[in-house]
Amino acid sequence: MTVVSPAAEPRRGKPWLQRALPYLLVAPTLIFITMFTLRPAVQALWDSAHSRPRANQPFAYVGSQNYEDLFNERHFIGRQYVKILHNTLVFTGGTLVVSLPLALLLAMLLNRKIRALGLWRFCVFYPVLLPMIGGATIWAFLFSDSIGLLNTILRSFNLGTVPWLLDPDTVLPSVIAVNIWKQTGYFMLFYLAGLQGIPRDIYEAAELDGAGLFRQFWNLTLPLLRRTTLFLLIIGVTFGFQTVEQLEVMGRGNPANRSNMLLYYIFQLRNEKLNTGHVAAMTVILALILLIFTSSNFFLFERGRHDEKA
Amino acid sequence: MLHHRATQGRNRPGDGWRLIGTALTVAFALLWLLPLVFSILMSVRPTRSSIINGNIFFACDLEEEPPGPTVGVGPCWFTGDNYAGAWEVAPWPTHYANSILFVTGTLIVQIPTTTMAGYAFARMQFRGRSLLLGLVLLQIMIPSGILIIQNFAMIRQLGVFDTQLALMLPYWGSAFGVLLLRQTFRGVPLELEEAARMDGANWLQLMRHVYVPLSIPAYISFALISISSHWNEFLWPFIVTRSESVRPLTVGLNKLFHTTDLGANYNQMMAGTLIVIAPLVVVFLLFQRRFLESFAQSGLK
Repeated sequence: MTVVSPAAEPRRGKPWLQRALPYLLVAPTLIFITMFTLRPAVQALWDSAHSRPRANQPFAYVGSQNYEDLFNERHFIGRQYVKILHNTLVFTGGTLVVSLPLALLLAMLLNRKIRALGLWRFCVFYPVLLPMIGGATIWAFLFSDSIGLLNTILRSFNLGTVPWLLDPDTVLPSVIAVNIWKQTGYFMLFYLAGLQGIPRDIYEAAELDGAGLFRQFWNLTLPLLRRTTLFLLIIGVTFGFQTVEQLEVMGRGNPANRSNMLLYYIFQLRNEKLNTGHVAAMTVILALILLIFTSSNFFLFERGRHDEKA
Repeated sequence: MLHHRATQGRNRPGDGWRLIGTALTVAFALLWLLPLVFSILMSVRPTRSSIINGNIFFACDLEEEPPGPTVGVGPCWFTGDNYAGAWEVAPWPTHYANSILFVTGTLIVQIPTTTMAGYAFARMQFRGRSLLLGLVLLQIMIPSGILIIQNFAMIRQLGVFDTQLALMLPYWGSAFGVLLLRQTFRGVPLELEEAARMDGANWLQLMRHVYVPLSIPAYISFALISISSHWNEFLWPFIVTRSESVRPLTVGLNKLFHTTDLGANYNQMMAGTLIVIAPLVVVFLLFQRRFLESFAQSGLK
């Protein structure tokens, strides 16, 4: 095959370079992606089908045993894993149920003529830019048991205190609250762009037809932002399944793994010598989940976008 | 793109709605700002009198005397002690330098690699092109952040554990960058390339004089996204480094969090947190619109 305009190369001895050029250009990227995505993914797949009974014995093929253990409530690792998978789903769902409608509301509020717009936008967006570790340390203080802000406020109204991060029943909602605070601004940005893409005359026509604000919202705004919502749902799920930082700061998955999540659990088990197969199986499952969501995202949106441009 | 625009007419829906809208905006903004405001207050209040027995910050302790030079009105004084203390606990200048090295070292290699691949996928026909593009896409579909265990083993094998190189290596190939530039390069008129080639420009000159100058906004977006995501990165640097001399800010902050005595030293911890996040907030304030525009493109992050 030829490069774009072969006629522009009059000198001899060039064709081989010309033919090799595209490969040379993509080589660096492909080398790094092979090293740090393809190879480890294959490695995880291989590891997940092997296991060793003792630390110094060789690996033996065990088929799908490691995967079965993960979902076997009688297996010690299965008991934790199912709980952790459940936590991750609750966390991801809980975040999205609140932050998506909130993001849309904020986008509509900030998509108006309003004084000091930049200031309000900053207030909602700045958490997106902070390192999650930093955001989580602040929230760990707000949630802290004895001197935390939330408990101080509760106490000043004589309402007693809540051990936010220490109680198995409140720890997950607390971590969800932090995540909502962190991500809503990011989601809002996409809704804002979506809203600005809606032509104004649609609303004017609706108003002439006598549609009130709520009718306009239900019948115009919401349907017209459906693609944005779907897109945000998908990336929201992929974010949720990669949650680590707030867990490291806010209780390390405790108490009793009630706030632990998939990737953080893998991270915690990174030095285990005997369960490499189980951990690899967890990695493969997580990779598959993300693969499904990100590729659906790609086929729904990226391809369409490219076709428009091409 | 992000310029505000009034979607509703001047006062058709009534001023009542506008008032409610403004009130809601302010309420949410304040709610979102609350953690930052309180962490700042916490960081400038003396350790023991910040919140005791239901006092929220502004209720100041009359009995406690300021120990050194302080600013404030009467008994309600502020102190820089927490910052001094937090500054002592960790080698922040080193962490800062490491973070800067990490993000620049990553970006400096990413720019040529993504430019090269971006061009090849945008404008060249070659055998196996779709297959190779698929391989690039794999990085978006399986974020390397979840393959930490296998990649950690790789870093060990390469013998670069606990070095700056270990931090950067996995990011030197960027599928997001390749896709972004591929799309941008496709928008460059083909006639410009042909004209340049007529003038005898080789590939490098073609990039330098045609493609790169015409794609500066894309490069800025990519740089902002790359820098901010790596600046904030925690898990990978935490795993592949051990010494403070190579660890970035996020890992240093995490250590501060886990080493301070939680009961008493939230003041110092908030000071430490603010030391880490303040520059970022300032940079964001300066380049707010650029950041927002870039982030809106980062859906495939």
